[in-house]
Amino acid sequence: MRTILSMFSKSPFKPLVSHINQVNECVNLITPLFEAYQSKNYGKVEEIAKDISDLEHKADQIKSDIRQHLPQSIFLPVDKRDFMRLLSAQDDIADAVEDLAVLMRIKNIDVPEDLSKLLVDLVNYVVGLANDACNMIRELEDLLEASFGGAEAEKVEEMALHLGVGEYEADKKQFLLAQKLFSLNDLSAADLFLLNELIKKLGAVADQSEKIGKTLHMFLSR
Amino acid sequence: MDLSTFLMVFAIAACIYMACNIGANDVANAMGTSVGSGSLTFKQAIYVAAVAEFAGAYFVGGHVSDTIRKGMLDPEIFSDAPLHLVYGMIAALVSAALWLNIASYLGWPVSTTHSIVGAVVGFGVMAGGVDAINWGKVWSVVVSWVVSPVMGGLVAFFLFRFLTNQVFRRRNPLLYAKRILPFMVFLVCVILANAMFYKGLKNLHLDFSYPEALTYAIIFGMVGFLISKPLAKKIPDVPKKEIHKQLEATENIFKYLQITTAFYIAFAHGSNDVANAVGPLAAVVSILNSGTVAMKVAMPTWILVLGGGFIVFGLLVWGRRVMETIGSKITEITPSRGFCATFSGATVVLVCSKMGLPVSTTHTLVGSVIGVGLARGLPTLNLGIIKEIVMSWLATVPFTALLSAILFKLMLLTLG
Repeated sequence: MRTILSMFSKSPFKPLVSHINQVNECVNLITPLFEAYQSKNYGKVEEIAKDISDLEHKADQIKSDIRQHLPQSIFLPVDKRDFMRLLSAQDDIADAVEDLAVLMRIKNIDVPEDLSKLLVDLVNYVVGLANDACNMIRELEDLLEASFGGAEAEKVEEMALHLGVGEYEADKKQFLLAQKLFSLNDLSAADLFLLNELIKKLGAVADQSEKIGKTLHMFLSR
Repeated sequence: MDLSTFLMVFAIAACIYMACNIGANDVANAMGTSVGSGSLTFKQAIYVAAVAEFAGAYFVGGHVSDTIRKGMLDPEIFSDAPLHLVYGMIAALVSAALWLNIASYLGWPVSTTHSIVGAVVGFGVMAGGVDAINWGKVWSVVVSWVVSPVMGGLVAFFLFRFLTNQVFRRRNPLLYAKRILPFMVFLVCVILANAMFYKGLKNLHLDFSYPEALTYAIIFGMVGFLISKPLAKKIPDVPKKEIHKQLEATENIFKYLQITTAFYIAFAHGSNDVANAVGPLAAVVSILNSGTVAMKVAMPTWILVLGGGFIVFGLLVWGRRVMETIGSKITEITPSRGFCATFSGATVVLVCSKMGLPVSTTHTLVGSVIGVGLARGLPTLNLGIIKEIVMSWLATVPFTALLSAILFKLMLLTLG
């Protein structure tokens, strides 16, 4: 027997948070992944790559579950397209992390000494940024409770701004790293290409983190 | 057993069946949001509903009833054969109750008022042809299909917007919730008391004029205000920085308000919907006792007690199961949203029934839930289910009308 309560379907915001939790776990494997790679512990790289691929798969399942349970007949307090945009930004982060692991498994490279410090710097920065984006998604429930306004909205606005600035900073770091990379003369073309791809994927994680901030910002009431 | 004793027993049984269904079908809708948000446990909800439904039915449920609810049918057509009206009323009660039974089974929140209205039209057409029906009155019922959910929706939408701006979008929502609490209590008390004092409480023989009733209601509201103000002050503050805890504490305040409104909606429901069960029985009793058809009949107290009692019985026995299910499920409604929906629903029902508009408690509540949703208050609204609900509303009148026409004809054929 049902009642008027059947008018509420399951909130899609909760699975969105479960999804970001999987994505967050992926993100937290980026640092160990690079550490293993740079210390040439390739067995460990394989291991972490496997974990990342599992997490990404779980995230994918949650994503398709959310998509299936979000038919046209569901009314959301936010624009449904924005909601989907948020979901795909989250998913793109997990995808980018998985790509990083795949790139590392293609060929074992000695990361040049000159590059190492800048690379670690970029990795740490991007991981921090992606973590901030994940935490922002965890604010969604409070944001809904606060009707997309008030102190909670200010908090979210600040976080979005911070992610925007962060992405700009990541771009600068990425540029410096690319400059350094292309100034090295003793790299093979294959190594150069792979390292450049790695840097680009790290940039993608930063880009998607910013996108999460921007999309959540659109939810706020004006 | 002679025919009239038989009919009397049959009519009482039908009234009991109807009252049980009203209790079983509607209590879950009225109290569901309070249980769903965790403001009340399902047991507490049952007790609140039992007391409030009975109080509403007994005190405000009506003293005098039109022989035919809402005057849709001219009782004159039965003056030659008063017994036929008795058959009709029994047929109407049985069909309406059966429809409610089916609807609760299928999970459709249909209106008890519309079920009985459809059933009366059904046997009326069968007895006196199309001309016997006062189509203007029927039209006003049809209009209420639109009016009650829309009114409920509008009130809920603006109430939620108001609370959003006054409380949730503040930098310190808890402080504003504490400030607003006594005023909300005042409002609830005034509307509730006004409904009781004006034209209500007939059973206590208090006949207040409207200004008198309003004065007493305001005094009652002031008492509520004065009691809740120091209580609100006692609620401990939470630092502004801790937004999550602030919001939690704010919802806690709305829990108290929601419990008040849970009583309020059950009361409104009891007062509004008891007539659907007891009205036809009162008509039957009056005809069997006097042998004639009157335009208006007195509502004997024992019938009101019977109606109110079995509404409570229905909710205790069947409504209980539904409530238990709701309580065990995680629902996406918080006390503040539940408060908005319930408060708006109850207010519209009380105000409209005082104005003589045949509104449905259930329809109004469905409308007010949608209103809160459209004001961005709910994480989701299932529009597909809403479509299904509206379809069930449209099916109500044809179904009960047809069934009651058939039952009426059957009784004519077997009983003469």
